[in-house]
Amino acid sequence: MFKKILFATSATDACDHAARVAFDMAQRYNADIRVFHVLGIPTRGYSQVVVDVTTGEEVTLDDNYRDLVKEEIRTYYERQIQKTKKWSIETVIGFPHREILRIARDETPDIIVMGGSTGASGAYARRKNITGSTFQRVAKAARCPVMVINRPAASFWGGISNVLFATDFSAAADRAFDFAFALVQELGCEFHLFHALDVTRHETRHFHTQDIIDDRIRETLQRLRVRYVSKMEGYAHYSAEVWEGIPFVEIVKYGREKQADLIVMAHSNRKDDSDDDLIGSVAEQVVLRANCPVITINQAAGKH
Amino acid sequence: MSEPTLCNKIPIQTEEALKKLLSDTGGRQYYQEMKTLEVDSRKLWETIQKTCKSRIRTWLSICAHCGMCAESCFLYRINNRDPRQVPAYKIQSTLGEIVRRKGKVDNAFMHMAMETAWAKCTCCNRCGMYCPHGIDMGIMFGYLRGLLYQQGFVPWELKIGAGMHRVYHAQMDVTDEDFTETFVWMAEEYEDEYPGLTVPVDKVGADIMYTVNAREVKHYPEDLAEAAILFHLAGENWTVPSRGWEQTSLAMFAGDWEACKIQVESVYDAMERLKPKRMVGTECGHAHRATVVEGPYWAGRKDGLPPAESIHYVEWLAEALREGKLKINPKKRIKEPVTLQDSCNYIRNHGMKEITREIMSYIVEPGYFIDMAPNREHNYCCGGGGGFNGIGLYREQRNKALITKRDQIMNTGAKLVIAPCHNCWDAIRDLEEEYRIGIRWSFLKPLILKMVEIPEHLKPKKTR
Repeated sequence: MFKKILFATSATDACDHAARVAFDMAQRYNADIRVFHVLGIPTRGYSQVVVDVTTGEEVTLDDNYRDLVKEEIRTYYERQIQKTKKWSIETVIGFPHREILRIARDETPDIIVMGGSTGASGAYARRKNITGSTFQRVAKAARCPVMVINRPAASFWGGISNVLFATDFSAAADRAFDFAFALVQELGCEFHLFHALDVTRHETRHFHTQDIIDDRIRETLQRLRVRYVSKMEGYAHYSAEVWEGIPFVEIVKYGREKQADLIVMAHSNRKDDSDDDLIGSVAEQVVLRANCPVITINQAAGKH
Repeated sequence: MSEPTLCNKIPIQTEEALKKLLSDTGGRQYYQEMKTLEVDSRKLWETIQKTCKSRIRTWLSICAHCGMCAESCFLYRINNRDPRQVPAYKIQSTLGEIVRRKGKVDNAFMHMAMETAWAKCTCCNRCGMYCPHGIDMGIMFGYLRGLLYQQGFVPWELKIGAGMHRVYHAQMDVTDEDFTETFVWMAEEYEDEYPGLTVPVDKVGADIMYTVNAREVKHYPEDLAEAAILFHLAGENWTVPSRGWEQTSLAMFAGDWEACKIQVESVYDAMERLKPKRMVGTECGHAHRATVVEGPYWAGRKDGLPPAESIHYVEWLAEALREGKLKINPKKRIKEPVTLQDSCNYIRNHGMKEITREIMSYIVEPGYFIDMAPNREHNYCCGGGGGFNGIGLYREQRNKALITKRDQIMNTGAKLVIAPCHNCWDAIRDLEEEYRIGIRWSFLKPLILKMVEIPEHLKPKKTR
């Protein structure tokens, strides 16, 4: 399942937790891990000057500098590399999201693993989303699953055994299900299927009665069974639940309750019509808040 | 006469030579070698006799030294009105002197001329509008650059840039395969959002042949996607050539006349091959100048025109909006103070000042558009034109040059600057990095995409 891992890293502590997960996966599943670092952002017109993404300084690019950065990355991940059989380091120039997507397209990894930022929420999370994180752009367009480890709490030590699949019943969610189910089968995990009924779209005075909400929950649970459980051919280790609330909050809470060590969900490609909707999609909020790695899959995933 | 290995009079012809020059970080060895580079005065004078024709000779001789050009030059104004920055002085003390001395100039002179040609003039041609005799120093500096290039006195990055055109037919190391592949990739990336989105490559007889800037391919291919999406939404019958797709010309900045010809002919060949009704170029100023305005003369075309009618992106966009091929959702128009950068190369030098303002009238809520002062054909250079943006050796001078644009923008009070030109876009980005005035800057394409209405039949089908 994970034979080729593309670990896209800034090679700073912001990616330490992602590194732990990426290398752990590589070791556990004997995968080939490609450590990928975009070392500089092109600047100054057509010049050879780039802004080093780590130091923020302008540097003139040459082979020596590239080698130096590669060596730094090797040293930074020395401990993990020693325990890993198949690894390589690649550094390039460009805008990070674009270069990650480029190499992913060329090398078709089974998964892209990325770090987020430091534990972010509230205003900071908002700002981070506005500035457009690399993750958002990669998750939107990648043709393979994208795993993000944003919070320190999200870096696991013990492999994957408890997988939460959160669905919004979109086409992308169907792809996410296919991936998640294949994963739990291969690794023999507990599988938790979940949908959060969004009750936030109404003003308080127009809230549905609890009876209506309960009806919806029952209907949606049935939908979960028809759409997904029916495809699971006797797979016993699963649960299916529908909770009402704010979707990303409920997904994070449910994950916590089930002690999920992985969340798999769709990354919506829909464009927001409103400029006010800067918070981003449900998946992006889950990424920011979850206690475990989150894999997002978009509608285009799997197309090559 | 033995030539140094990196800094010499030989143009870059091979990938190997290009890589060798690139590996000389920052041009350290290159500039060191330049210090002892000999001037081939005989060749220089022969070239002048052959190429310095009546227009430039007349201009050089009729200049009355009245100094009316001084105030027109933003570099003069920004450099404490230093008399050495007066356009007439700058050209008389360089090109004028070389002609007067019949090419008998030395290495130190050529160093001075190089700095004057690339760090004291952006070839914005503003002075030409203010000269009572109509003498255009920008044109003459373009010519001087050619002489300097021939003698090997050219900034390192521009020797590389011209070499890129010779080796790749593009300003960067982007091959024809890279181009097609990247464009197709972009269509794939957006086809879910825009069903039916494709990139027709080498389609013969299309209404539009689209040409780009290699940087879009190399670093921000989203720009290609945006162009494709807008053509798609407008229902255009368009294509891109698999060869001859690069519209820009660093060779023009470098003064490498031969490479200018090679480059523009590759685009004209594509026009001859694909026979489009029109060519539309991307949001780039110098690319338009190189391919549409000056190119026909480099290629020796008697009518002074490219083989197919060639228009700038803003002309296509204005037309598409005017004719309703693209419809703007009025609710999504820009509702914040916004200003517009007039690119010298197609506003002052190719008369499109009303075209860009027409676009503003469609996309900006009335009352929010604020012109810079001065504007239209009188607007100042962004500060990074003519190659200035990319030359490390003159970084300090370039950063100072940005102050004019910084102040012009600040005086509008706008926080959003629309810059439909790669060079201007770069310079404005750099001035924000350098001076932190809290602005955002954008090409037109991404702004249009946010507000354009998607025709019902082109909307993605709901999947739930």
